Amino acid sequence: MRNGENNLPAQPVSARAGIGLRSPHYQDLLQCKPDVGFIEVHSENYFGRGGLQHTYLEQVRCDYPLSFHGVGLSLGSTDPLNVKHVERLGRLVEFYQPDFVSEHLSWGSVKGRFLNDLLPLPYTEEAVQHLAERISMLQDYLQRPIMVENVSCYLEFKHSYLKEWEFVSAVADQANCDILLDVNNIYVNAHNHDFNGEDFLRGISGNRVKEIHLAGHTAKEYQQGAIIIDTHDNRVDKSVWALYQQAIQMYGPKPTLIEWDTNLPELQVLIEEADIAQNIMLEIESARVA
Amino acid sequence: MPGLRELQTTFSENLFDENASSVQTSIYAGDFNTGQRMQIYRNNIITSFTDALRAVYPVVERLVGHGFFLYAANDYIINFPSTEGNLHNYGHRFPSFLKSFEAAQELEYLPDVALLEWHYHEVYHEQDSAPLNFHALSMVDPEQYDSLRFELSPSCRLMQSAYPILEIWRVNQDTYAGEQNVDLRSGGIKVLILRDSRKEIALHPLGAADYQMLSEISQRRRLNDCLNAALAVDGKFELNEFLQQYVTNMTLVDFDLG
Repeated sequence: MRNGENNLPAQPVSARAGIGLRSPHYQDLLQCKPDVGFIEVHSENYFGRGGLQHTYLEQVRCDYPLSFHGVGLSLGSTDPLNVKHVERLGRLVEFYQPDFVSEHLSWGSVKGRFLNDLLPLPYTEEAVQHLAERISMLQDYLQRPIMVENVSCYLEFKHSYLKEWEFVSAVADQANCDILLDVNNIYVNAHNHDFNGEDFLRGISGNRVKEIHLAGHTAKEYQQGAIIIDTHDNRVDKSVWALYQQAIQMYGPKPTLIEWDTNLPELQVLIEEADIAQNIMLEIESARVA
Repeated sequence: MPGLRELQTTFSENLFDENASSVQTSIYAGDFNTGQRMQIYRNNIITSFTDALRAVYPVVERLVGHGFFLYAANDYIINFPSTEGNLHNYGHRFPSFLKSFEAAQELEYLPDVALLEWHYHEVYHEQDSAPLNFHALSMVDPEQYDSLRFELSPSCRLMQSAYPILEIWRVNQDTYAGEQNVDLRSGGIKVLILRDSRKEIALHPLGAADYQMLSEISQRRRLNDCLNAALAVDGKFELNEFLQQYVTNMTLVDFDLG
């Protein structure tokens, strides 16, 4: 990766299905050039200054619309924003000019210790204000809008008085940012915290939703019942597909991403999953036209 | 009701100490108990740090076995916190941790093998560089040779060990199918870990004089001082041969006349 700006042609992400790219799939992707709508990568995987992964990503950037998805900025942390992290992201964005940049509505560090996880926040006005301020700072620094994603949770705080969708909407409104709606995370939280996923969808303004995430999850069984864990290690569950269908019916087609992080299968499996999402969007669109 | 700062502080404390459970009074239990809920986060976090270490240290894992690796990783994760959101930089103190890790004391070579793997990992992500400008070098006035300072590629590392770590590394690669035993008394080694122009990483065993020369260059010493140090190690050291080899393989990528 060279320093400074690149003169790259714009590659806008359109309302099609794309896939998350992880390093074992680089060569397959560049060789087969599958017909997917866009490619998303974890920004932090490219924080190194050079090497093979940048060579690959530069090729990917030529062939596909690109989305940078951050997992480590810790937007919801009460520590100061990590300047080094923000600057590194800034240089990456300047170089690759991705069409999308996103992060999570979570925290992951306190008192200088990083947990490198997407930890839950209380749904309070204090948390809304705090996130909105930091998202605004990031958008000002990057000179572009970002998307923020709802996360999976395995606990709720007693003092949360907003519904999760009210919380997500309030943050997006106050920070004037976009929403990356993870439909699997909605399903996981609806199960774990006993609400109706449709209520979540209805509580979000479709205009703010610029991208949708889909992934596989795993139920962990306890004596008292199951808690669903957001594992990104298998195919999208059929109940999640059903909720996705409702989301597309409500919002219209949206760029939709298949995420897979552990027990990575052949690239072809991700493409098949993306095709399912693509077909759902096409069917709903053609029914609407007819 | 705790403020955000207090909530995050006590949450983090409970992740690494099950008895520091004050955060749990703020958690809604529902059908489960609050400890079970925190345990999910604890598991997720330990797993992701462990996976990060396993990705960097596959040879160490093979040498000690999966179970022992998990045990060592767990101890490391609790005592050596991550300090940034980029997980790729996690684990740089694992080699020195292993040196003092009681249960691994018998495997004296293990910290050096770990350091070799950390260097390999760093080199993989390092900055790219252009080849040294041979033409510009040939234009340097011979009278200025004394003040020449060469620069090593950012994507290389030097190390030495009292153990045959290169051989240990080689026989523990997934692609290797031959003899597994390494004679630990077969002596130490000096190694150059170098990413080449195709961005592939190779481990080069080094002679004592080459190692000396490259070490001096890495400290930004003047050519003459480097040369004298190399000649002190081996009186037959040939500068021209050295330059030819290490400029061509892109270990030396720049020079100045400072």
